[in-house]
Amino acid sequence: MANQLLEVKGLDVSYGDVQALWDVSIQVEEGTIVALVGANGAGKTTLLKAISGLIHAKKGEIVLSGESLNNLKPQEIVDRGITHVPEGRRLFASLTIMENLRLGAYIPRTRPLFTESLERVFTLFPVLKNRSNQKAGTLSGGEQQMLAIGRALMAHPKLIMLDEPSLGLSPILVKTIFQLISILNEQKATILLVEQNVNQALKIAHQAYVLKNGKTVMCGKGCDLLADEEVCKAYIGERGSKR
Amino acid sequence: MGDIGLISQVVVNGILFGSMYGIAAIGLSLIFGTMRIVFIAQGSVIVLTSYFCFWLFSLLGIDPYLSLIPVLLVSLLLGAAFYYGLFREAAALKDRIGSLLIAVGLMFFLENFMTVVWTPNPRAVVTSYGFTTFQILGVQLTLTRLIGLLIAVLAAVAVSMFLKKTLIGTAVRATSEDVEASTLMGINPDWVNIVTFAIGIGLAGIAGVTLATTYSFDPVYGFEFALKALIALTLGGIGRVYAALWGGIILGLIELLGTFFVGAGWAQGIVFMIFLLAMTFRPYGIFGGAGDKV
Repeated sequence: MANQLLEVKGLDVSYGDVQALWDVSIQVEEGTIVALVGANGAGKTTLLKAISGLIHAKKGEIVLSGESLNNLKPQEIVDRGITHVPEGRRLFASLTIMENLRLGAYIPRTRPLFTESLERVFTLFPVLKNRSNQKAGTLSGGEQQMLAIGRALMAHPKLIMLDEPSLGLSPILVKTIFQLISILNEQKATILLVEQNVNQALKIAHQAYVLKNGKTVMCGKGCDLLADEEVCKAYIGERGSKR
Repeated sequence: MGDIGLISQVVVNGILFGSMYGIAAIGLSLIFGTMRIVFIAQGSVIVLTSYFCFWLFSLLGIDPYLSLIPVLLVSLLLGAAFYYGLFREAAALKDRIGSLLIAVGLMFFLENFMTVVWTPNPRAVVTSYGFTTFQILGVQLTLTRLIGLLIAVLAAVAVSMFLKKTLIGTAVRATSEDVEASTLMGINPDWVNIVTFAIGIGLAGIAGVTLATTYSFDPVYGFEFALKALIALTLGGIGRVYAALWGGIILGLIELLGTFFVGAGWAQGIVFMIFLLAMTFRPYGIFGGAGDKV
């Protein structure tokens, strides 16, 4: 097996009495894009939250570069090298773009790199540079997603987890966001992607997992799953009907 | 009645007095902002620090304005201790009743503690310059009250600069907006909460020194003061430093003008009436837009 950056082994997660994940195992190889697909409520977001420490697993193990992340707090997990861009972007709307980026590099180890990180983000997203003193809440949906990704890059993560980055964006912007994810990957970023847009996600993913009712029901190369009749019927066929 | 000189006198006193509500309100705003705690004990803490100032003055002969430094330091530490000892567990809960009850308990404890230590009799810090007044455009100004206003404005500027210019200040604002997202930035909510609580109680210390130099105080005055600070906060709107100061000044004006025109009893009624009206029609504060979030 090649260099596994993240390994999730036999994870059980519950919200109170309701179990959301059952014995979920995934692997993310360094330098790849891994997609998590599945219907609403399948447990994709829950899995990301468990990895970033927002919720604690009942059972199982999460390992980053050989080091267990179990029972660490979210702020400690950011420090270990996983940055989570949550669903709905969760920018600090009343703070300026610059302040949002500054907080992206809040972890002490990333602070000395601030200037070069900022330059990298502004090269990727020139639109943010011109508006750096504007409040984040005034940005359009697409710009907000760019800022959310930019803010994540400021932390120099080993792994970026993107939860529904294309949600609520126009078709053109959706395309832009997916191109951007590919560009980040070409720049050696490892990405764990949760997407409703299954078709696009599987196209760019090296590896993909299909979750159903909190369990991994299928896994394989993105292109293989894309060709799989069952996956197509279950998820891509519903592409037209917005959920 | 109707004497312009007298009215402008009342207006000036209202502003000077209200600025004290203002700094208390800034402290409440910060604590509510990051932890969603209604810190009803703020007034009692202010009176407690007034007693510190009183003791430093009467026992050691330290000038009240010089005592601002030790009182501020003690208040900052007290704030951190309050968070660690009393509110840390409760602040992490979704249910806010716990933290409110702790704050109420702390208030009653402090009231009784102060009654035991300093007796229920009113105290005041009487300095040689306490009665110094001067006239500007026919309005008589008391030196200590004027210094009080100056201190309040300086404190507000300092807090505002801290929140805007420092990384931890930015983290405090981010945490007020979205705790979960701030932890995903690597911000430790405990650290933000300690800093916020320390500053909130530090501001109480500053208000306490101002109170001690301008008015007399007793152990149970704190509750009323905390209520007024909460009203000032409602008027100004939560989450903005200068708005809270303005809220306090407006409240001070309403209170003293009400007392002047219709009498002290009615003035309190008017204050609470305006509070209810503000809550009904401008729940985000008279300076805040309807869409403003905390």
